[in-house]
Order: sequence, then C-alpha cells, then structure tokens
Amino acid sequence: MRWLPAVVAVMTLCVASACGRTHEVGGAGPAPQGKAASTPPATRLVADVSSGEWRMAAGDYGNLRYSTLDSIKPSNVTNLRVVTTLNTGINRGHEGQPLVVNNTMYVVTPYPNNLLAIDLTKPGGALKWAYQPHPDPRAVGIACCDTVNRGAHFADGKIIYSLLDAHVVAVDAETGEEVWRTKVGNIDLGETFTAAPLVVKDKVIVGNSGGELGVRGYVAALDVKSGKELWRAFNTGPDSEVKIGAGFRAFYQKDQGKDLGVSSWPPDQWKLGGSTVWGWLSYDPATNLFFYGTGNPGVWNPDLRPGDNKWSCSILARDADTGELRWAYQVVAHDAWDYDEIMENLLVDMNWNGRPRKLLIHPGRTGFVFVLDRETGEVLSAQAYQPTNWATSWDLQSGKPVEDPSKRTKFGVVTRGICPSSTGAKDVTPSAFSPRTGLVYIPAHNTCMDYEGVEANYIAGTPYLGASVKMYPGPGGYHGELVAWDPVKGEKVWGAKEEKFPVYSGVLATAGDVVFYGTMDGWFKAVDARTGTELWKFKCGSGIVSNPITYLGPDGKQYVAVYAGIGGWMGAVAFPDISIDDPYAGLGVVGAMKEIKKYSGPGDTLYVFGF
Amino acid sequence: MCSASRFVAVAACAIIAVACQKGTRGTAAPNSAPPPMHTAVGPIPGPGDGGPSAPNPYAGDRQGMGEGHRLFNQMNCAGCHGDHAGGGMGPSLRDVDWKYGATDAQVFSSIAAGRAFGMPAWGTRLNDDQIWKLVAYIKTLRTRNEIAPPS
Repeated sequence: MRWLPAVVAVMTLCVASACGRTHEVGGAGPAPQGKAASTPPATRLVADVSSGEWRMAAGDYGNLRYSTLDSIKPSNVTNLRVVTTLNTGINRGHEGQPLVVNNTMYVVTPYPNNLLAIDLTKPGGALKWAYQPHPDPRAVGIACCDTVNRGAHFADGKIIYSLLDAHVVAVDAETGEEVWRTKVGNIDLGETFTAAPLVVKDKVIVGNSGGELGVRGYVAALDVKSGKELWRAFNTGPDSEVKIGAGFRAFYQKDQGKDLGVSSWPPDQWKLGGSTVWGWLSYDPATNLFFYGTGNPGVWNPDLRPGDNKWSCSILARDADTGELRWAYQVVAHDAWDYDEIMENLLVDMNWNGRPRKLLIHPGRTGFVFVLDRETGEVLSAQAYQPTNWATSWDLQSGKPVEDPSKRTKFGVVTRGICPSSTGAKDVTPSAFSPRTGLVYIPAHNTCMDYEGVEANYIAGTPYLGASVKMYPGPGGYHGELVAWDPVKGEKVWGAKEEKFPVYSGVLATAGDVVFYGTMDGWFKAVDARTGTELWKFKCGSGIVSNPITYLGPDGKQYVAVYAGIGGWMGAVAFPDISIDDPYAGLGVVGAMKEIKKYSGPGDTLYVFGF
Repeated sequence: MCSASRFVAVAACAIIAVACQKGTRGTAAPNSAPPPMHTAVGPIPGPGDGGPSAPNPYAGDRQGMGEGHRLFNQMNCAGCHGDHAGGGMGPSLRDVDWKYGATDAQVFSSIAAGRAFGMPAWGTRLNDDQIWKLVAYIKTLRTRNEIAPPS
C-alpha cells in the first residue's frame, strides 16, 4: 500500500507528458487483406492512445478508443474465453466502460452510481472496496432515458465521475474514500448528469443532461484537487454567459453575430433551450481546445421556438483553461427531429487533398459523418452513412444541409417516414478509429419515424417535450450496422449488418486489427478491422449497450472487458415497466424496439475475456 | 467457471461485510436468541389492500375520462409515462403491476402525494376533481373504453 502514491504520481506524470506529444503512425504492420487500403494511412495522433491501461472514458483524449495492444489477432481471437464475471447488482442500463489503472479495475454502476474497485492481481479478481455515494433518489424520475452513467476519468490519484443527481464526486483510487463531492446541477429543474467527465490538466470538465425537461445546457470546470467550480459556460443565452469574446471565430456566416444564443430564440425561450452536453468530450493538447456536441433545443416541437436556436445541435470548441468559445458550428439550425449532436468527436491528423490537416470526425445523429477542420470549424465533408431522407446532401459553402422540406416536422401535423428517427443513425454509444486502417468504426442504427409537434407546457422538473413520436425499423431489412468508414474518401468500406436491432454499444479498435462491439440481443463480437468478417462471438446474459475496453493484466496478457446490461433510451424497452402496446412510449422508441423483450432481459454483468 | 463463481462469492461477501459493518455499528450483540413469537403480526398488505377506498366520482364518466386524458398531456404525465401511458421515464400505467396499489383511491394518492424515485406530488397543482379525472382516464387504458388508444 505504501508504494502506491509514488506509482500514482508517476502515472500522472506520464499522462501530463503525453499531453504535449504527438505520434506518427503508419508503415508498420502485416500485409492487410480485404477491401481496406493496403498501405496504412499517414496518421498523426493528438495524444497517447491506450496501451495497457484504460484511464479515461474513451481511453484517450482524441476519443479514438484504440489500443496499441496486439496479442489478440484475427488468427487467435477464437481462443478468447470468459476469464471472470462480476454482477454489479443494479439491473439497469450499463452504458459507459470500466477503467483499468494500476492493476485495479473501476466499475461505475447505473444509479445509485456505486463505484467498485476490483483487484486484478487476485485470482478471478477480488473486490477491494465499494464506494456508495447514495445520490438523491428523486433523480431517477427525471432521467429521460434510463438511469445510466457513461463512466469515469482517473486523474490526480482519484476516480472522478458524475452522479445522476447532478453532483460530481472524486474518490481516492487506492482507499475508496470520497475526496470531494460537488453539486453542479439542480434536479428540481430537471438536470441530471450522465456523461463522463474529462480531466484536462487541473480541471474536471463536466456537462449536464436533461434536454427533455427544458434545462439550459452548459459545461463547467471543477478544480481537480478541491472540486470547486472554476467556471461555467452555457450553450444558450447572451455571449457573456456562452463565453463568446474577442477570440471567437465562426467559420460560416450563419454562425456569426452578437448574442445569437438569445436572438435566435423567442423571448426567454433560451432559458429552457436544452442544448445539453450528455455525450463525449475530447481534447487536443496542441491547440488546448476541448470539443463537444450539444443536444436538442427545448422544446421538441419546432413551431414553439422560431429561430435557429443557437447553440443547440452544434459542435463547439472551447479553450480548456478558460472555457472561452473559440469556434462553433451549428450542424442543424432550428432542429425539428430531436437530432442531438452530442456524439463523439474523434481527433486525428490525416492527409486531406495531399496535405496534413487537423481533423475532427463527427459521426452524426443526423445520418451524416462530418469531417471538420478542428482549428477553424470548417466542414470539409459531410456524407450520409445510413438511410437518410430529411436532407439529401450538405452544402459545404454555407455549412447548411440541403433539406427535403416535406420532412420538416410541424405543430399538429404527423410527418411520416422520416429517416433517421430521433435516436439517429447512431446515438451516444461511441465509434472507434484505427490508425492502422485509417477507418472509423461506427455503431449505426437504421430506424425511421413519424413525428408530430404537440402542445407543451413548462412545469419545472417535468418533461418539456411537445412531440408525439413513433419509431420503426428503416428500409433494407436490417436495423443496425457496424460501419467501417473512410473519413478521407467519405465512403463506407464495409458494413456488418445486424438484422434485429440497432448497434447500441460502443466500439473498440485494437492494433491486433480486431474490432469489438456488442449487440442488443447480447452477442459480444470480434470482427476483422479490414474486412468486417466476423471472427468470434460470445452470448452474454443481457443486451450490450456499453463500450468494450482492452488492457494488460498483471500477468502481462491482453484482456477485453465489457458490460452486459441492456438499457438506455432504446434498450429500456427491455424493462418490465415499459409496455409494448404503446408504440409512442419511451419517447417513441417502443415502436422500433418491441421485439427486444423476446431477446434480452435486464442484466448487470461485467465480462472479462482473455486467453 | 470455478474462478468466476469464487470471484462473485468473494465480491458478494465483501459487499455483505461492508453492509453488516454499517448496520451493526454501535449495537451490542445479543447474548441469546429472542423467544419465538406465536402471535401473528400480519396480514401483510398486498397491492390493492388496506389503502383508502373512496370511490372515484368520475369512474366510467366519459366526459370526465376525456378531461383526464387532456390533463394527462397538459400536465406532462405523457412525457414521463408515455403518450398512451406505456412507460418511459416513469413506469407503464398500461400493465397489471401497480407498485403502490391499484384501487382508484391508491392511484389518486400516488398522483396527489407523489412517490419516491421522482413522481411529483401533483396535489399542490391540481385539485381533487382534476386528480379523480386523471384516475378515471388511467383506468380506461387497455380497456374497450380507452380514450385515444394508440394507433
């Protein structure tokens, strides 16, 4: 025990030193097969990727979910077997992923957000301690889409994560003692916290959830030592509160102007304007910018909020020290479909038209994969990756979608056959990127919907919805697909289709050229990173809506871990307290997901696989 | 599998140990078991037992049920429980499970006084008449009388 602080200090130093470095990848590796490019693309990573431990939600600041571990290969992956399991005791959606630091695995459960520390040096693992924060139970009733948690970040010797009741906690990674707990949001206003924090240098950056309850979205920075709030930057409202100052440059004219966070709304509507931050944060040490996407505008009925509704459904770049907004790109102005753009932003430098560019890759809920210049917010390409009919293409000159006006939803009108549905061509579960293939691996959905704007009545702490939605599987005889996407060419290289359900897990890419993901009916799968060929699968006890990770055990061997516990917005239909004879239930997902009850019950199991 | 089950057992023991430690802090262990009790302490109430039993003045009243449906949308009940009460943020009201009792009076009480885990106390905002109408609407779900069934 006495040697631990020293180890933690060394590890902290490693993380710090990684921040300033970039890495050249390319040229190495075995001869690839299949359709993918035969020469690894010239790729430059923004920060160290995971290479044994898993210290933050995405594994790395660039949100690549790529590990350099390569013992598990297409040639031997069939030898994977379960080496241990653990039940967390909480039968709700297990989104997120464990951390592995210093031979200890850390598991954050759904509400009540217990933190379990598992000693990986003991046979089969052994519980070191369990920290129980006892968040306010009232938060359960205001969480829009199950009582999920998307994971923790290890920094400064602490495991730092959000509680559903809008608090953030830091727990001593060695002892399990709470170091600090900070109230950031207010559940009485409908705010919950589900996203994983991102720690950058001495600051813990967190965002709020609650876009279905008329909350006002923001990110806040807390001091990593004390938990004290240092600054807060809103995503709606006056420039002073959005932290728009002299250093702000929007690339497109549509995003330029003073106090757009007020003037693009009806009077005072920005105070209820959603635009929350319930997805992923990424960070580029070279520019010291952090990036995130914002959620839907409140309320879902677009006719109740004329205007662009800034900065909902946007991608934002902020200074990591001050929170100042450097650029913003509103993906969809005046959202009419609940197309939150909170998806992951993968940061990587690649050659673009012959010269290296600093890219931000955003596989969007809208059905398009966006590639932006992360220094300026310019959209370099936007291509559809799933059946999409609300817009036919993207105008890169104006930065605006080319919409089909017949698919824009209205008050009192049922607009039918909109693709994708509100849950998007993908939802919050994150993609991965392999620098060895240059491909983004996107967990995609093929779901469409009927949508009607209806009356809405703001009552604090209750849903502020204003839409009646019914979803159903999209065209083509499949409902989900793992898409391998070439971001430079803007095209699909291969796709592994799932017939029954959307792919609602995250994805893990590895240097062994094996890609892992899970299905809602409980299959954990390994596919060839270059061809998509299914190599191995294992049936877990419940549907998978979590994000697989990989790490080196104390024995020096590579392991893969994943939670099987269905839930989340679409997965919650598996719970007994949702009835499938109301297709509009669960904010409209029941219509698309009613078969799930036949294929998965609730679960709560951590699986660890190895040789 | 051996190692897996042992791990689960160890984990379970550890959790129990933590719980026990908490629960017994400050209490002295009894010297011997208490004498057996022969008197009944029940009955233990089941769903639908033992609660208030006032009749719903709007039971079966078509107009009252319709107004209840309107309130269901207007008060954002639909946002939580589903457009046709199939569930979502809050539990389904279309199934046979009633956590806090199925009688009209118990459903009234759930709405008026709220419940743990996020059901607000609507008695501060709605009068008894409105709450009874909501109960009347909820009771039409999945019946031939359902107001605005899902299509």
